[in-house]
Amino acid sequence: MSSKPSLSNEFVKGLWENNPIFKQVLGTCPTLAVTVSAINGIAMALATTFVLVFSSLIVSLVRKLIPTQVRIASYILIIATFVTIVDLVMKAQFPELSKSLGPYIPLIVVNCIILGRQEAFASKNSPFRSVIDALGMGSGFLLALFVLGSLREIFGSGTILGLQVMPNFYEPWLIMILPAGAFLTLGLLMGLSNFYVTHKKKIEKENIIQEYLKIKAT
Amino acid sequence: MLETKQNPTYKLELTSSPHIHSRWSTMQAMWLVVIAIIPTVIASVLFFGFYQLLIILVSVGFALGTEAAIKAMRKREITIKDGSGLITGLLLGLIVPPNFSLSSTALGAIVAVAIGKEVFGGLGYNIFNPALVGRAFLQAAFPVPMTTWAQPNFAADGISSATPLSAFKFDSIITNNQSLVLGNIGGSLGETSAIAVLIGGIFLIAIGVVNWRIPVSTILSLFLFASLFHTIDSVKYATPMFHLFAGGFLFGTFFMATEWVTSPLTAKGMWIYGIGISLILILIRIFGGLPEGVMYSILLMNGFVPLINKFTRPKTFGKVK
Amino acid sequence: MKLVIHMLATLTLIGIISGALLSEVSNWAEPKIIANRKAETERAIFVVQQDAKSYKKIDSTDFELFEVFDANNNSLGYALPYEGNGFQGKIRIIVGLNKNINNLLGLEVLEQLETPGLGAKVAETAFTKQFKNLLLTPEIVAVKGVTPSNPNEIEAITGATISSKAIVRIINDGIKRLKAIQKSGEQN
Repeated sequence: MSSKPSLSNEFVKGLWENNPIFKQVLGTCPTLAVTVSAINGIAMALATTFVLVFSSLIVSLVRKLIPTQVRIASYILIIATFVTIVDLVMKAQFPELSKSLGPYIPLIVVNCIILGRQEAFASKNSPFRSVIDALGMGSGFLLALFVLGSLREIFGSGTILGLQVMPNFYEPWLIMILPAGAFLTLGLLMGLSNFYVTHKKKIEKENIIQEYLKIKAT
Repeated sequence: MLETKQNPTYKLELTSSPHIHSRWSTMQAMWLVVIAIIPTVIASVLFFGFYQLLIILVSVGFALGTEAAIKAMRKREITIKDGSGLITGLLLGLIVPPNFSLSSTALGAIVAVAIGKEVFGGLGYNIFNPALVGRAFLQAAFPVPMTTWAQPNFAADGISSATPLSAFKFDSIITNNQSLVLGNIGGSLGETSAIAVLIGGIFLIAIGVVNWRIPVSTILSLFLFASLFHTIDSVKYATPMFHLFAGGFLFGTFFMATEWVTSPLTAKGMWIYGIGISLILILIRIFGGLPEGVMYSILLMNGFVPLINKFTRPKTFGKVK
Repeated sequence: MKLVIHMLATLTLIGIISGALLSEVSNWAEPKIIANRKAETERAIFVVQQDAKSYKKIDSTDFELFEVFDANNNSLGYALPYEGNGFQGKIRIIVGLNKNINNLLGLEVLEQLETPGLGAKVAETAFTKQFKNLLLTPEIVAVKGVTPSNPNEIEAITGATISSKAIVRIINDGIKRLKAIQKSGEQN
């Protein structure tokens, strides 16, 4: 067990280091398509997280019973079951939200983040660990979609979560709620996150050199 | 520790290929382009009033400011003296509609330089014409103000402020050639006066800043395509002259399609590029939902330039296939 | 052979469990979804027919059509949902019509996929209120850039002419179809 990372690490890695959008660049289709507003981003991320957590739990529980040859088919069946549940519940309880997310809820089935986590993590780890990992990835997805959705909503409609934040004379940039705006914003955010990571690494490296020199001097 | 010896007198310049020789240095060429744009600036102020000068100044100011700010942020040498930011600003100022808001113009200039050029690494690395990137952003961000045209100063009564192209496309109104050539029509600042654009364009070709092949191939092929459609149905499709002089075709072909960085290097490539621009343009104008397509046709062909360069590369001397 | 049976058994088992689970969820959700849809149509009918108190679905047509009644159970006319192509996708609308089908009482856009901020404006009241008390003879016309001067004209949205015209075309198509049915009904 000593070689395995701690549980908190398992959760945190999905938020930043291994963020599904900014680092793994998985599941970009729903990311780009639904983030016209912050609420859409949150709803999409929560739906995906629900599917991710429960699929990971089930896959991890039955991981030793499934023959390797049909594992992908089995994962897809399990994932599709949970996606259909989400779709039906949303249609029944939140018809407005379900309408604005349109076909992207059923399309969670083919979201690479989910199948990726089953194949890379849940099929090799204990159920508890898999759920923590799924929650971490889901939170990372939520973070990315919320930031993207908020930025697009602020610039594209002048509001955030439906509340007016821009002054009245502000003329919304329609491009931000069009597909082009999604690509531009995601690209700039990725650039920013890469810049931050390189910057952090550089500082860490310098610190190590400084420490080494200090030790050497004494 | 290893000591590296450095020779202080020699400096090795390292740049990536292609290495093209020209009569003019980059900086000289940029300033010559600025001179060539001046007639268009004068014409636009003449037809649309002094507010237009303000638009151009704001555009240039923000273009230069953004370039300087980004270079400072990346801790690079500030290169605004090379004039490329100035040209981007000037061009952008000339391809927005008259009476366009100054804050939106400033935004367009920032986007043009930041996303159109500096994101790729600065002058020489950009794939797309920065001024057109700025305009495309504005077009998508503010579609209504970007297609609201003002009437020129000397317009006769009854001339609508719509551009000749949209007047033709949506209401089948034909604007006469004389107005088109002089520029007494609705449209973006720089695209209305064909004669001012021609003066600048021919000047650039004559002194060798711009290669003649690109404007010649675009103009010839547009004339050909338009004639073809005009002969098929002379009522439904406009005359070739109309296609040449209406809209931003001449301005785009002389000042934007010919930009050094984003156009092909070989003679054959230039012909392909020019014909491609005209083909996309005529398709958009005739079959598309938009009345005008110069911006998109140049941007699309900009995207093809690396491919064109690859396929038209001359054979290495002495190489046997 | 053993492996094949194992594989088949696994997939079948997962399929059965999944199916059972889904049928339970569906049993719970289906009535709610139908109720939601009905509530939506109902709300739209009362928007396009403001004096309406009750309505009845007409079954004899091969498209959806509602007859609308006032408080005294007198027929007010019809509510007609109809759909057609917009600029980017399907547009679904509902219109209120008087009994003689020569006057449009109101318009509500139910579904649309037009460009946000431009074509999507067709669903806003600023545009739809123009359709109140619009004359249907000969048919609705969208004009551009000028204030409508005739009782059968509406003004298209600046920058979204195609979407505006699409709405007008969908209404005209729907009414044409309704009139054709009415005519054949009279002959019978």
